Amino acid sequence: MQIKVKCSCGEGKCPEWAIVELQGAVEAQPSFQNCVENLQIGILCRPSSEESYTFTVGYHELMGAKQSLKKPILVLKKVKVDDEGEVELDVIGVIRHKILFKTRPKALISRAQPVLKPKINAPASLLN
Amino acid sequence: MDIPDFEELEWLESHGVDDEFDDDFELDVEPPSPPSSPSSDKPPQRPTLSLPPKPSPFKPQSQINPTSRKRAGSDLLNSISLDVNDKNGKRSRNGEDEARNEKFAQSECPDTGPMGSGNVGDSEKNNEGSDDDEEWLRFSPPRDTVEEMEVVEEVVQERILSRYATEIDGDCVPITGLDGERVYAKICSSVEMDEEMKIKKLNFRGDHNGLLQEPVRVLMEKVEHEQFTKALQGSVEDDMAEVVLSTAPVASEQLWVEKYAPCSFTELLSDEKTNRKVLLWLKQWDSCVFGSDIKSTTDDVLTSLRRHSTGSQHFKQSTKSYFQKNRETRFNRDIPKTHNDLDKENDTSLGDQEMWDKKHKSSGPPEQKVLLLCGSPGLGKTTLAHVAARHCGYRVVEINASDDRSASTIEAKILDVVQMNSVIADSKPKCLVIDEIDGALGDGKGAVEIILQLLSAEKKSDTGKENIAQEENSGRKSSRKKQKSSVLLRPVICICNDLYVPALRPLRQVAKVHIFVQPTVSRVVNRLKYICTKEGVKTSSVALSALAENTECDIRSCLNTLQFLNKKKEILNVMDISSQVVGRKDVAKSAFHIWKEIFQKKRGKSSSRSNKSSSSTSKDFEFLYSMISNRGDYELILDGIYENILQLNYVDPLMQKTVQCLDNLGVSDIAHRYIMRTQQMSLLVYQPPIAIFIHGLIAQLERKDIEWPKSLQRNRTILAERMDMFHTWHGRISPYISRHLSAKSFVEDSISSLLHILSPPTLRPVALHLLSEKEKSDLGQLVNTMVSYAITYKNIKSDRSDTWRHEDALEATTIALDPPLSNFIHFKDYNSCHIDLALAVKQVLVHEVEKQKILQGSLSRSSNPHVEENHVFAKNNAGTRLPSKSSCTNGSVEKKTNQISPAAEKAKLSKAVDEVKSVQRTRKTSGGLTSFFNRIKKVNKDGSEVPNNVDEPKSATVRRDSHPFLFKYNEGFTNAVKRPVRIREFLV
Repeated sequence: MQIKVKCSCGEGKCPEWAIVELQGAVEAQPSFQNCVENLQIGILCRPSSEESYTFTVGYHELMGAKQSLKKPILVLKKVKVDDEGEVELDVIGVIRHKILFKTRPKALISRAQPVLKPKINAPASLLN
Repeated sequence: MDIPDFEELEWLESHGVDDEFDDDFELDVEPPSPPSSPSSDKPPQRPTLSLPPKPSPFKPQSQINPTSRKRAGSDLLNSISLDVNDKNGKRSRNGEDEARNEKFAQSECPDTGPMGSGNVGDSEKNNEGSDDDEEWLRFSPPRDTVEEMEVVEEVVQERILSRYATEIDGDCVPITGLDGERVYAKICSSVEMDEEMKIKKLNFRGDHNGLLQEPVRVLMEKVEHEQFTKALQGSVEDDMAEVVLSTAPVASEQLWVEKYAPCSFTELLSDEKTNRKVLLWLKQWDSCVFGSDIKSTTDDVLTSLRRHSTGSQHFKQSTKSYFQKNRETRFNRDIPKTHNDLDKENDTSLGDQEMWDKKHKSSGPPEQKVLLLCGSPGLGKTTLAHVAARHCGYRVVEINASDDRSASTIEAKILDVVQMNSVIADSKPKCLVIDEIDGALGDGKGAVEIILQLLSAEKKSDTGKENIAQEENSGRKSSRKKQKSSVLLRPVICICNDLYVPALRPLRQVAKVHIFVQPTVSRVVNRLKYICTKEGVKTSSVALSALAENTECDIRSCLNTLQFLNKKKEILNVMDISSQVVGRKDVAKSAFHIWKEIFQKKRGKSSSRSNKSSSSTSKDFEFLYSMISNRGDYELILDGIYENILQLNYVDPLMQKTVQCLDNLGVSDIAHRYIMRTQQMSLLVYQPPIAIFIHGLIAQLERKDIEWPKSLQRNRTILAERMDMFHTWHGRISPYISRHLSAKSFVEDSISSLLHILSPPTLRPVALHLLSEKEKSDLGQLVNTMVSYAITYKNIKSDRSDTWRHEDALEATTIALDPPLSNFIHFKDYNSCHIDLALAVKQVLVHEVEKQKILQGSLSRSSNPHVEENHVFAKNNAGTRLPSKSSCTNGSVEKKTNQISPAAEKAKLSKAVDEVKSVQRTRKTSGGLTSFFNRIKKVNKDGSEVPNNVDEPKSATVRRDSHPFLFKYNEGFTNAVKRPVRIREFLV
């Protein structure tokens, strides 16, 4: 069986993609199980000019580094040409780099702490 | 005590030694040269002992007859025993002989200089008249003159060098080799030849007109060189040849210190007692080192030595032997000195005797296997060690620990020496001399540690049973050696300058310590005079004694100075020395010494000198300045002055001196600080004059105990401690109070008042409800103050617990202020006038303060942080003035809040006040204090329960909103995340 792979974009114009590789899984909170769209997964940022990245998901901060892949990976899009099941694969991007987060995440406890605060806040709100 | 017959003894010894050493001698190319000490060079059989006549210098040594070789090899040991036997014999005479001897010695003492030639002549006359058999005895006692004592008749013609001055006709010069042996070289002819050649050279220089291929001068030099090599060959069979040839032409180049170093035991300049003790100690090794053959002799030797060293003359021996008529010859000038020290020594003699008796039975090596000699430089420690060891028949192996600093090299060397016997060459047993052991402390204490290891190994292996025959012992030791590698078998002498170096502490405990004392000035001067006459230097004994005094009897520096002056063709005079141009030592004194010099006036000489010349003050100044600047540690020295100055009792009715001194110390302190800050070290030169000025003010004749300055250190730690305490406490006070408190102003101004406030005298130690209204308000105020200043009372375990037990059976503790504020104003000999509150009051205060704190804390938690401060104030007022009219309280609170906060907060405030009121009410109703906390809690619950319930879900959602996704970390390798995908899935 023949599979056609096409590249619609021109020479050297394929958009660069990147892989964010996590040692673990990103899970939605139970209350958001149904409405995951348009929610922020986390913040990926490069704190300095080095090849190190931080990725903040929930109350975890991941530290990772940018690596170049040994073999580039193509990102394909399956296009159905006709109803018989004829399939074309369209190249929509090429991946040459990945950002690998393989270390144990660091817990950001600043937010998770407030257990006693409500008590203080409560009268204030009440008095207002 | 039995004294063995001399001849027999001698015979025994010589044979024993011969047996022992014969094999080794066969291997020798050259026989070991006999020791040069003339006193020990003369056994009874004179003809065999004297050097074999050398018909020509080229005669090979191997032709010397075997007996003389043996003689030469063994005579060292022989001489020891003979020497000692002689002493033994002397000692064994009866009491009246002793007394006579003493008299004689004292009478003879003054004129026995080292070069007392007349004296020598007398003794020589005596010698001629005496028995040939015993003639040697007369020369064995210590004597400084060496060469004049020689009575060898045979004169060999054409002698260039010889061991005996008499064998050389004409002028001769004594030369002491590097190994301490002395020969006499006939140098006059060579000098003459030199002169002749000089003339010739001068002549030749003129008519150097190139007729010859080489100039005549070169030829002459060649001839000279040939002669030189010939002479070298000729004297090659003699040990001394090289030394002589190298030294004879350049005799003046040799250091006098080395040239005139004592080469026999009798020439030693150091204290006779110490010398003999060292010798005794070395002798105690004999049975261990040399074997049992000479054990009996050794015992005798030990006996006599012990008597000498202890100096006690009460051992009565009834033997009037043939020594008697020669007794006068054994005297030397050291005897009177020994007698002077008699009292002192008698104390030690008992101990020594006991120790010796024990040794005598066991006949092993001495109990303390290491000898530690210490003393300041130049007293002759090294010389004594070398001479004594050689005298006892050891080959000295010196390890200068300052050179070989690493522990491993030292260890290898020490083990080599101590445990191995050399098979070839010089087969004398070795004696290890570790010089400057206090320098061998580079890493891991080096030599000291190794010696200690050896000693400890010894102790382990020697589990008693010491008095076993030597043969057995040696057998056992060899077997033991297989198990334990290191056992100390040879004497070890350690030499150090400072005994109290911390690193030497372990060694000090195990070693036998001898401290060198300065020899008397007269002895040093005598020796110096002798050397000066030998060298042809013109000096006066006044100058010499001044030099000796100046160098503190350091003969090495004396000699160096003399030689230096001689070389410069200058004459030593008193002025030079007293003006400290020459012979001055650049030795840093200890700090204590410097303090002593500062606090103490010099008496005697300096005062008389001041009478003579008015420049004594400047001299004093010079002396102190050089001393202090040599030491260099100005801060320490001035600290020491500061520490000790007030302990001195100088006459100062108006306190002017004290004020001046302290002013000067202040100046030096300021200067020091400036120097340290700006790093201008050149200004440090102005520090010593301050100390000298103080010296001029307060120096006393009397001696005072000087203490090491500790107060600075102590006070510094106390300051740090107190500052730490203050800062922690400062941190606990709420900021609106603590911002007004700096450490300086608090300690200097407010702490005393605060303590007065904290301990009002009006508080009665009664139960709370018995207090009057005013007292209650006072108490309330006090508690208020304490809370706001974060002060409380605390139970502290008291050392006087038993006294407290009478008053309070339950508590064995005192109650004190929690930050111990009174410590801040605790000074030496100062009693603060603050009243200590009664225990009961303190207990009440502890409770009240705790209560107040809790009340405050709980209220502040439930109140808006914005008005927290006001609340605290309000609550405090309300809480403490509980019994007073509440309306008044409210009014005051409202007034204050009005001033501070806007009107909108009024409501909150009133609520808070209401709360407080409710607290008060409940408290009132219950009437007791115990149920108070419950109320508060209840109120708290009432106040905060509802909002909490409302808030909880809300806040939860908020939190969740902020994190829609969570990250779940998978342990392990990254493959756990990757998932294989089949190609089919792309296609469907």
